[in-house]
Amino acid sequence: MQEKQQTAMNRRSFLRAFGGASTTAVAAAAVTLTPGEAQAYDPGEEETRARYRETEHVKAFYRVNGYETLKK
Amino acid sequence: MARMKFLCDADRCIECNACVTACKNEHDVPWGINRRRVVTINDGKPGERSVSMACMHCTDAPCAAVCPVDCFYTTADAVVLHSKDLCIGCGYCFYACPFGAPQYPRVGNFGSRGKMDKCTFCAAGPEGDSTEIEYAKYGANRLAEGKLPLCAEMCSTKSLLAGDGEIIAAIYKERVTQRGYGSGAWGWQTAYRETIDV
Repeated sequence: MQEKQQTAMNRRSFLRAFGGASTTAVAAAAVTLTPGEAQAYDPGEEETRARYRETEHVKAFYRVNGYETLKK
Repeated sequence: MARMKFLCDADRCIECNACVTACKNEHDVPWGINRRRVVTINDGKPGERSVSMACMHCTDAPCAAVCPVDCFYTTADAVVLHSKDLCIGCGYCFYACPFGAPQYPRVGNFGSRGKMDKCTFCAAGPEGDSTEIEYAKYGANRLAEGKLPLCAEMCSTKSLLAGDGEIIAAIYKERVTQRGYGSGAWGWQTAYRETIDV
């Protein structure tokens, strides 16, 4: 009984010590890993450039859709 | 600089759903997602109206305003696109959008929304133009090929217009003038008041 209690005490003291050490480690890590400033997503000029071109295909679409109204 | 816009002539839409089918086929849109759909009001009754709806590529897009990871961007020709690499599937954009444009795949585990999917105005996404990766994530890039969105090009009654906002607005204005009824502001009387003069 006495021995059992001794074991339990040891385990608790171990956890207490371990817990204390890990808290210190976390605090230390928090100091070293300071996050940088958040940055908005910038897709770049190439991605945001205009793709639309008034090709013959597009002109045909406008012509067909406005066939009854737009001046030829 | 031309600004890309959709305009649905509600007086001409016959609810054939060709735009929906064309979009799904062209972009290989996954199960459970419709980038475009036709909404019918008073179905089967006098005064029935159908409108083809998709992302309207808003100037000040609410989806972009609420996105916590800021994955939306607007191109120089005013097309609102997003990056599926950054999207975390939170669903905020779905609730913010007044048109119900952002959709989520329904094949994931319970509670997971996956990556948001929406109409790209056939301009795909941030990957290289007309690449396999781009097609797999966003679908075809017709704008880069010198074409317009297939939904509009397929429209059998010329109801759905797409392209340079100024040109399609001129086409529509002429239509309204010539037929002498209807207007681009269909639904305004419901949204505002009965006496509004449009």
